[in-house]
Amino acid sequence: MTCPLPNRRQALKMSACGFGNLALAGLLGDRAGAAVSNPLSARQTHVPARAKRVIFLFMQGGPSQVDSFDHKPILDRRDGETLAFDDARVIANTGKLGSSQLLKKPLWNFRRYGDCGRWVSDLFPEVGRHADKLCMVHSMHTEGVAHGPATLFLHCGSTNFVRPSMGAWINYGLGNESNNLPGFVSIAPSPGNGGARNYGSAFLPPVYQGTTIGSAGRPAAGSTIRDLVNSRYTPAQQRSQFELLRALNAGQLDRNPGDAELEAVVNSFELAWRMQNHAPEVLDLSRETAATQDLYGINRKTTNDFGRQCLMARQLCEAGVRYVQVTYGDGSPNPAWDQHTNLPKHAEHAQRVDRPIAGLLQDLQQRGLLEDTIVWWGAEFGRTPYAQNKGTGRDHNPDGFTVWLAGGGVKPGFAYGATDEFGHKAVEKKVHMHDLHASILYLLGIDHERLTYRYSGREFRLTDIRGEVVHGLFS
Amino acid sequence: MTRTPSHLCLAILVQVLLLAGAIDAADDSPAALSAVDTAFFEKKIRPVLVKHCYACHSTRAAKSKKLRGGLNLDSRSGVRSGGDSGPALVAGKPDQSLLLESLQYKSLEMPPKGRLPAAIIADFGEWIRRGAPDPRRGRTTTRKAIDIKSGRQFWSYQPLPKMRVPPAGPSRATSAIDAFLLARLDEAGIDQAVEAPRAVLARRLYFDLLGLPPTPDQLDTFLQDHRQDAYQRLVDRLLASPRFGERWGRHWLDVVRFAESITLRGFLFPEAWRYRDYVIETFNADRPFDRFVREQIAGDLLTDSTVEQRRRNLVATTFLTMGNNNLEDQDKGKLRMDVVDEQLETIIRGFLAQTIGCARCHDHKFDPIPTRDYYALAGILRSTKTLNHANVSKWIEMPLPLTPDLEVSFKEHETAVASLQAQVKSLKPASGKLAPLPLKKVAGLAIDDLQAKLTGSWMRSTYSKSYVGTGYQHDQGATKGSNTATFRPEQPLDGEYEVRFAYTPGSNRSPAVPVRVIVGNTEKTTTINQKQRPAIDGRFVTLGRFRITPDSRPSVFVSNRNTTGVVIIDAVQFLPVTLADKQPVAGPSTSPKSPRKLQQLQKELAALKKRALPRPRHMGVQEEKTIENARIHIRGNVHSLGDAVPRGFLQVAEFGPRSTFSNQQSGRRELGEWIANERNPLTARVLANRLWHWLFGTGLVRTTDNFGTTGERPSHPELLDHLALRLIERNWSIKSLLREMVLTRTYRLSSRPDQRRATIDPENRLLWRMNRRRLDAESLLDAILMINGRLRTEIGGSTIRAGTPNDYNYRHDGDRRAVYWPVLRNSLPEIFEVFDFANPSMVVGRRDSSSSAPQALLMMNNPWVIQQSEHAADSLLNQRQLDDRRRLEQLVRATLGRPPSPHERRVMLSFLGSGSRNEKTRRLRWTQVVQALFSSVDFRYLH
Repeated sequence: MTCPLPNRRQALKMSACGFGNLALAGLLGDRAGAAVSNPLSARQTHVPARAKRVIFLFMQGGPSQVDSFDHKPILDRRDGETLAFDDARVIANTGKLGSSQLLKKPLWNFRRYGDCGRWVSDLFPEVGRHADKLCMVHSMHTEGVAHGPATLFLHCGSTNFVRPSMGAWINYGLGNESNNLPGFVSIAPSPGNGGARNYGSAFLPPVYQGTTIGSAGRPAAGSTIRDLVNSRYTPAQQRSQFELLRALNAGQLDRNPGDAELEAVVNSFELAWRMQNHAPEVLDLSRETAATQDLYGINRKTTNDFGRQCLMARQLCEAGVRYVQVTYGDGSPNPAWDQHTNLPKHAEHAQRVDRPIAGLLQDLQQRGLLEDTIVWWGAEFGRTPYAQNKGTGRDHNPDGFTVWLAGGGVKPGFAYGATDEFGHKAVEKKVHMHDLHASILYLLGIDHERLTYRYSGREFRLTDIRGEVVHGLFS
Repeated sequence: MTRTPSHLCLAILVQVLLLAGAIDAADDSPAALSAVDTAFFEKKIRPVLVKHCYACHSTRAAKSKKLRGGLNLDSRSGVRSGGDSGPALVAGKPDQSLLLESLQYKSLEMPPKGRLPAAIIADFGEWIRRGAPDPRRGRTTTRKAIDIKSGRQFWSYQPLPKMRVPPAGPSRATSAIDAFLLARLDEAGIDQAVEAPRAVLARRLYFDLLGLPPTPDQLDTFLQDHRQDAYQRLVDRLLASPRFGERWGRHWLDVVRFAESITLRGFLFPEAWRYRDYVIETFNADRPFDRFVREQIAGDLLTDSTVEQRRRNLVATTFLTMGNNNLEDQDKGKLRMDVVDEQLETIIRGFLAQTIGCARCHDHKFDPIPTRDYYALAGILRSTKTLNHANVSKWIEMPLPLTPDLEVSFKEHETAVASLQAQVKSLKPASGKLAPLPLKKVAGLAIDDLQAKLTGSWMRSTYSKSYVGTGYQHDQGATKGSNTATFRPEQPLDGEYEVRFAYTPGSNRSPAVPVRVIVGNTEKTTTINQKQRPAIDGRFVTLGRFRITPDSRPSVFVSNRNTTGVVIIDAVQFLPVTLADKQPVAGPSTSPKSPRKLQQLQKELAALKKRALPRPRHMGVQEEKTIENARIHIRGNVHSLGDAVPRGFLQVAEFGPRSTFSNQQSGRRELGEWIANERNPLTARVLANRLWHWLFGTGLVRTTDNFGTTGERPSHPELLDHLALRLIERNWSIKSLLREMVLTRTYRLSSRPDQRRATIDPENRLLWRMNRRRLDAESLLDAILMINGRLRTEIGGSTIRAGTPNDYNYRHDGDRRAVYWPVLRNSLPEIFEVFDFANPSMVVGRRDSSSSAPQALLMMNNPWVIQQSEHAADSLLNQRQLDDRRRLEQLVRATLGRPPSPHERRVMLSFLGSGSRNEKTRRLRWTQVVQALFSSVDFRYLH
């Protein structure tokens, strides 16, 4: 980072209102002469920021673009025809181009929504109603044919090498706005397909890694930040114990005067204490009105889990968290949206997320948060427009798929780029995953080429040596 | 997926070189061109270059720091000399021209925004075929080749001197190490701090050497020992403790990214613990480090005198296999190279503190490491087999040799098993591998799974080859209760039929699948064990005989409700009984000859197999069948190969004559020799610095894993050389060098900050005091278990709970030392995560040391911490002979290594209250006191 480091006194001051970390000699060892600084204090941006935070709705497994947002009427007309396609898996396994594939029409009807008249399928009728807020990117392409590599690429910009996740980069680049919460939260992350690496910090200092709430496939109700709550002591008991600890530490500091590192430990307890007293309130969904809860589909069987997670994401954002990811997935190697067979199952997943996502968009807008919050909907890749093995589902497709963005600085009611006539490969105004990363960073005020970290003798970036900011997406 | 692995350093460093003037200007004058050639170029080529290429490949791009790949396409010479990947074209040879390949999106994909129209690409082909006539002039840039010879001038590549004489100046120095340090302090005009109090020193030494606190008794013994050599004797006692290897072995495990699982899919490495135990044992036995190097890199290729040694050597190579690789990468060529890359990174960074990854794609921009060196090393590891490739590739496990008596008993057992197996086989129907059976070869009426009416999520497969028709389907062992299949004949049947059901058996299959035949009003359900081979031809089982009339609408219905395991549906056969009696499916009968005997033998076999443990195995590597040199991967792309490079090492750190490599062996043995050689300028320095870092908290070179030009310089270069030389002199004994370090006066200094000295040397680089250090995750965990009396000190063994399917959401517990807690990449113990445990996927010579709110939350609220505090409280309260005051005394001495201060005594006693409280409250209060002490700074720091 090129951001100036604060001096020691400033740092100590800031640490009193930051999430509570003082990085010490170990962290700053490479920076000769660096004084103690708070690694999470808010930072200056490289370019003017259009957005302050991101909510990433991760549709794990890869929803089919041609069944949801990328309308290709030709598939209906030519359903069942056998054609030659350059299938990504076939190419990776055998190098063979032009394998014979059976075109498969979308299983859901498409209709136009909003003033912009964008096509959305009946999988997402509720999201469709917000079409005028969405900026669709139809020309996405990425790396990795299998879930593991592609999921890592989506999160960390590399299919195999151990690299920091996007949230960790942003946490590192922008610091934290919240006094009582971490800067990067991953709600219901999946243990599979990269697991902890998808919210990890790799070689960035561990303070930047994501804090998790819950786990994919587990009920959302009751999940919270680890160790936030003490289940053994009454509040009064804990308060008196905390006073004891304060007294012990005060005495021990007196015996070792002038050591900033020890002071930092003492501060970390003060901050934890504040967090413990404030964060549960932030994460308490019951203080929301019944109408808001209903907006997200909470307390309805199909939408309860994802609804709670989306509402929690909004609450965290409101409290100043920079980067919140909500994963819709499960713990299996063939995650939720992975319909290799039985494509109709897409409907089940869509029903669980459609209303909560629509609710989130509406709620953010009502509260004026949407203008500086980027909502990003997408997956590690899309699916083929042809049937897998000529069967009942679709295989992975990293060569062309759709994500959409809404809010913070993106063009509303807009569509960017295109896939070929069948919806297979991105052809027009192609946007690589690196480009999407670069663009989201740009909206946050970060120049992706300048957000670097020195490790193992060289500077690393989220976008490696690639990535172009796609200015065409911005309003 | 033809994008190349690529490196950020490239773009930036090209600029650095521009600024540094490391660029040669090349002028190139084209011969006179024909008018046709000029016209062709101006019309077809130049406009395309201008429009699509110059933005990143021109002098102008270079000026605005946007030049990519070191390639200029705005001059004739630029095109011909090319960039990082070599010349952009070979005039007259389109098929050897990278430019054309890139336009065709074959290797690189250029322009990246999208492939150009085919006509344009064809123009470029034509242009190159004509000899790439180019009227442009102008100067361009070509980079200088790396100069290995001048690279050797850098401090870390210089040969170690014969000796380093300690400065004579500081006569008060009590050791050579102190003399080096004091000389620098004298220069800076700083005096050293006072020595730490003996109690502080003892606590420091126990944690540093053993990772454990001294017990109050141990502390007393030392404090009461007033002999001159009391401290030395303590040092020797601790170095001889088996706890030493558990502490120092763990440091090494950080470097070699030790882990017992892989992130993707959470696969467990069931044999990785053997390597951990091997490392601990190596440190305890103080086996020479040079030997340790050779074993880890090439243990399988070393000659061994004993079975024990052979076992050790084999287990040592697990070192090469623990990379967190992406086994499911579909591009196996790339995966193979990624594995090599990971191994090189670990070896070269771990042993030599060099960063080599850059050179995979282009010459290292800072360090004198050319791409050739990378592929010279890569050839060695490409000739080594680490994975067996498949859809999901797998690491290699092999049996370990056994001592002769063990070998005999295993052999006996195996012979008995083999003989029983033979008997079973003779009784079993002839199996053999079955090939798929086409539907039309099935007698009677056959219905394939594709013709069945399905509900729920079925997955098609052709993996097991004994299927009927086009394949079979399974429920993935999931979505229980929602899958059904109904098989109905399309034409009416009339007569008596045997109804049969086909499935492909397997060990993961459901043991009880209900299959119902419905004929008119009759229903019959048969429960099928799909783990067993189907009785008829290995394909079908019978569901019974039925009288079918044209209006009885027969059907066969399968559901996965209430089933466990994978349910298979393949086909249904309606066979007229007349045929059934003659020919079962499509061949002679093969039913078991003597079913009862068979069953009995199978039972015996299972029991016998259960009785003996499986042969011990280890994770390791093998030599590849073909030993070959690696070819340079242009831009690191596995699909874009350049020249082969003879196997070799890093030229800049070479000494003596070049090694020759046999074409019978990978060359790992030679690699190990080269690294372990005392003439290697890096190995001993890097290790001495690592040891210093682990002991003093900061290395003499603070970038412990980077001794290249981008790393830091040593604060005391002569001292570092001295330590490296001592290491070699003492036969690479780690304990000997550590002993010298802890016996210095500097190690014994107080860690108290001091304003006056700090103004001159704020970072304590000159070591005017001892560094104050935070307890790491393991020390914290071990100390807590030790203080509450529950720590179990047994050594080694596998510790992943039996029956664990993968590493997701693993529940950690137990009373073993932290070094034995499974290192699972998706589920680290929480205390490891928040207290900066080394990332087990990368080489970590230096951990972070943060103080964060999550740490505080863990200490305050984590149920494990509270429970352990309660155990400590219980053991104190159970000592009935003590009063609270004495209990407190004991507790504080155990946690902080000193008696409580009057202030501490007062606040804790007041918190505990008078003795009148009931038992429950007392226990709670004591628990809280213990926990508060665990949270206090004097517990969490080594002063």
